[in-house]
Amino acid sequence: MATSLSFFARRAWVNLRNDVLVLPSRTVALAWAAGILLLPLLRDDPYLLRIVAMTCIFAVYAASWDLLAGYAGQVSFGHALFFGAGAYTSALASLELGISPWFGIALGAAVASAAGVAVGYLCLRLRGSYLSLATLAFPLITLGILFAFPERSGGELGVSGLRPLFASRTANYYVIAVAMLALVYGLWAIADSRFGLVLHAIRDDEVAARASGINTPRYKLAAFAISACAAGIAGALYAHFMRGAGPSTLEVGLSFQAVIWGIFGGVATIYGPVVAVFVLYPLTEWLGSFTAFGELRLLIFAVIVLVVLLFMPRGLTPWVRDRIETPCPRCKGPSAAWRATCRICGVALHHVPRVPAAAPSPPALTDPGTQRASSRLP
Amino acid sequence: MLRFIALAAAAALAAPAAWAQDKVKIAILGPMAFAQGENHWAGAELARDEINGAGGISVGGKKKQIELVRVDTNEIQSVTDATNAMERAITRDKADFVIGGFRSEAVLAMQEVAMDNKKLFLGVGAADAKLGGNVEKDYNRYKYWFRVSPLNSPDLGRTIFTVLGTIAGQIRASLHKETPKVAILAEKVLWTQAIVAGAQANLPKMKMEVVGLWQPSATATDVTAELAAIERAGADIVFTALSGPVGIVVGRQMGERNMKAIAFGINVEGQKDGFWQATAAKGNYVATLDTYAEVEMTPKTIPFVKAFKARFQKAPTYTAATYDAINLLKESIEKAGSADADKLVPVLEQSNTVGTAASLEFTKTHDPVWGIGKTTGIAVQWQDGEKVPFWPPQVKGMKPFKLPGERQAKAEPAK
Amino acid sequence: MLQDILITGLVNGGVYALLAMGFSLIFGVARIVNIAHSAFYMLAAYCLYTLLTYTGMAMGLAALASVAAVTALSLLCYRLFIEPVRQHESAVLIATIALGLIFQELMLRLFGGHYLGIPNALEGVVSFLGVTIPYQRLLILLIAGASLAAVWFVLHRTRLGLAIRATANDLEVANLMGMDVRTVAMATMAISVALAAVAGVSVAPVFVVDPFMWLSPLVTVLAVVVLGGLGSLKGSLIGALIIGYVEAITVFLLPQGAFLKGAVALSIMVVVLLARPEGLYGVAFEEER
Repeated sequence: MATSLSFFARRAWVNLRNDVLVLPSRTVALAWAAGILLLPLLRDDPYLLRIVAMTCIFAVYAASWDLLAGYAGQVSFGHALFFGAGAYTSALASLELGISPWFGIALGAAVASAAGVAVGYLCLRLRGSYLSLATLAFPLITLGILFAFPERSGGELGVSGLRPLFASRTANYYVIAVAMLALVYGLWAIADSRFGLVLHAIRDDEVAARASGINTPRYKLAAFAISACAAGIAGALYAHFMRGAGPSTLEVGLSFQAVIWGIFGGVATIYGPVVAVFVLYPLTEWLGSFTAFGELRLLIFAVIVLVVLLFMPRGLTPWVRDRIETPCPRCKGPSAAWRATCRICGVALHHVPRVPAAAPSPPALTDPGTQRASSRLP
Repeated sequence: MLRFIALAAAAALAAPAAWAQDKVKIAILGPMAFAQGENHWAGAELARDEINGAGGISVGGKKKQIELVRVDTNEIQSVTDATNAMERAITRDKADFVIGGFRSEAVLAMQEVAMDNKKLFLGVGAADAKLGGNVEKDYNRYKYWFRVSPLNSPDLGRTIFTVLGTIAGQIRASLHKETPKVAILAEKVLWTQAIVAGAQANLPKMKMEVVGLWQPSATATDVTAELAAIERAGADIVFTALSGPVGIVVGRQMGERNMKAIAFGINVEGQKDGFWQATAAKGNYVATLDTYAEVEMTPKTIPFVKAFKARFQKAPTYTAATYDAINLLKESIEKAGSADADKLVPVLEQSNTVGTAASLEFTKTHDPVWGIGKTTGIAVQWQDGEKVPFWPPQVKGMKPFKLPGERQAKAEPAK
Repeated sequence: MLQDILITGLVNGGVYALLAMGFSLIFGVARIVNIAHSAFYMLAAYCLYTLLTYTGMAMGLAALASVAAVTALSLLCYRLFIEPVRQHESAVLIATIALGLIFQELMLRLFGGHYLGIPNALEGVVSFLGVTIPYQRLLILLIAGASLAAVWFVLHRTRLGLAIRATANDLEVANLMGMDVRTVAMATMAISVALAAVAGVSVAPVFVVDPFMWLSPLVTVLAVVVLGGLGSLKGSLIGALIIGYVEAITVFLLPQGAFLKGAVALSIMVVVLLARPEGLYGVAFEEER
């Protein structure tokens, strides 16, 4: 028993050393995940836990948008619909039907997924800006319907008085943090798989994809469903954390936030929007806590987004990633930028300019030692 | 000599420490970038300066000064920001009491945070009945919530019908009609539902005919269609239940079309000083319920309104009732002899104090008790650029209600 | 009732047409979804308010000055924020969102969240077929018509218009033919925002002025433009009339559902898109990569 544990521990350490710690981006991701999980043990501050929990919820929301917009190319301006659908459904289910909050969350995700398929179906034939602007309409139509039945939906107040998942703030935090890590990893795995590759193909050229025999409507609907499901779970967790769900979960502003986070962080990365949320949300909250200029928080946020965009038009994470990692010219695998040679195939990472043969020094040029060394595998 | 200096230094060092503990921290939460938050803070500042100037609050025999914490909830734009702000005020800024709130959806969420932390939350601004309903549903959790202002929406309805009854006679006389026609123009939101239902039930009993119900959205920027239809229906009174900017649009467009009907009801934008300018001077004869005017609803009203106007160069709106909330808190703390929330709850429940707009008493749901002589609110009408109070007519300072154009009312106020 | 619907729909449709024209132009030519379009409309309204209240200028002069100021500002914003990221469509998109937010917050800082009113350029009402129409509304219709005619004239009868249409058709070839693509883009931006500013100064007296007044016209404009077809001026006009009439019909036929007029208009847009994915008169950009 002890030996098998130590066996797994050694295996884990070897994996860690060889696969994770070799790349700065993966190391950062690991450190971040560890930080999220260890936070309550380091600081028992309910306000801090609230902020990080909200950040995790919005990170899932933004990542789900990226799957749809970055990978499948369906740039949705109405992503708040799925968030709100998840929030309202799980809230109403918990309150009206009295079912357990966990089932409520599952139900919320299911309803959000169905909404995703519905929206996807209606938008199947739409392209580009038409798709984006059409998706803008759906949350607004839903708001109209909710306001038409205020006794059921709570009108402008929404649903309130929900039981939280757990009584303690720390337990609630862990539910959200673990869910976020699982969902973001899941979304990333989906995007990195063959399914994601097909989505990429559809985004780049749908006609060519169809000509290759890919059933593009099915893939698009699947992307909508998965993305909406993740956003719905985020919404349901939000509702149970805030103990209520109101029309603010369907606002146009929330839809635009997904777009801002997604593009600011870097589309088609999944982790890009997550980084954007973790950078921007606590920042704006921190700005808002100052009495002197707290009311300027949205202004400062917009200015930061605008200025950063000028320097990093492809987004924050691609820019950072380009600085800390370099792809190998031969095998295309990423390596840390400060390395001289690729960690996989040993080829020189950075282009070494050829020295002009003005002062020939034959021994240096034809030194067999150097020749062989550069082609040796590590 | 040296000992004297050492003692003096020690005292000087100890004094600030002791000083810091001698404070009652009250967090004022509101949308500080907007008029509602500004009024929250203004009323609170007025109260703090008055109380601190008079020595502070006596907590169990010790005099403590009030320290206000200004918290911008940004609730109009984001409910999440509001709950974050509430949590920050309680756990980071270590506020002892929280006062304020405005947007009902946000206040419901903020209420949860305050109740989690067992802090007394005095609501000043949200009218929704559910906030009090929670107290009834789960007393032990929600007992720390008390609504100081305004009346909850069903009670607002009671005031409107009482006022309508008072001016109905005046309207009948001028219109020479036994059954004036009323068009109901109410936002399609939860808080108007009780009032609309009440109107549809009560108006026929008051010998008025309801010719239709129009429900625009709170942020509608154009009500031409609704007003055209109302004109076609021949309405004499437009009964309004509006809280958003649509109230301004209604006032302006009614004035532009020279509509013969008179608008009366709730028009929250019509309570603000800026209404006249916002309607480009067209919102004449618009009448609405309100809270503050220079009339003697209580002995404190006129001094408060005058002091507020002198200091802030504008008239108070209902969210300035933070002044009353703080004074209520002071009285309750002094009566209970402690600032502990659990001890204060029963004291507050029994309180019967004189506020600046009404007498403050609380019901079982911790809402203000409705009643003439208790809390009713007042009714005002815009007359040529001035907001003129006209109800309750027996209170000193009230002026007569006017009807538009050639339908000028008789000089004496209606009974 | 019928004449109420006919006239109200026309008048409101005129307002939407004025707002949508500029948006359609900038998208059709420069492929920029300018979310800040209605924010410029808001800026023009605030500019007019400031000039009228604090300098006592005459209405006409103040309106012209506001339009000029806002157009100049838009060119500055274009040079500073949009042009550097023109290659990245998504970056342009959130640049315009960020600009809109910045304008909103600036107005909130400067003027507070209070609702402001601008006096009408023309006072008084006229009664037509039993329907009361304020003169300001007729003025808006007139201005919308005049703007449409002016834009048509510029696009089809001037060299600049020819260049604009050429770059809209095929950017690379137009560049190869020697047209200064950059200047054309800036000219298009100027015309587009000028239209928004004209809408701002003529429509603002009819609506209330506040820092958030740009959000709901944005949604309506997007609906109108998508319905009519992105890039088609005729489409925007027809789309505006359709949306105007749909809203008028909703309010007149369903008074208790007046709050639904926005949702109904958007639903009509979705229905039309189901039948015609590029809008009524839209041009499919299949060949674009």
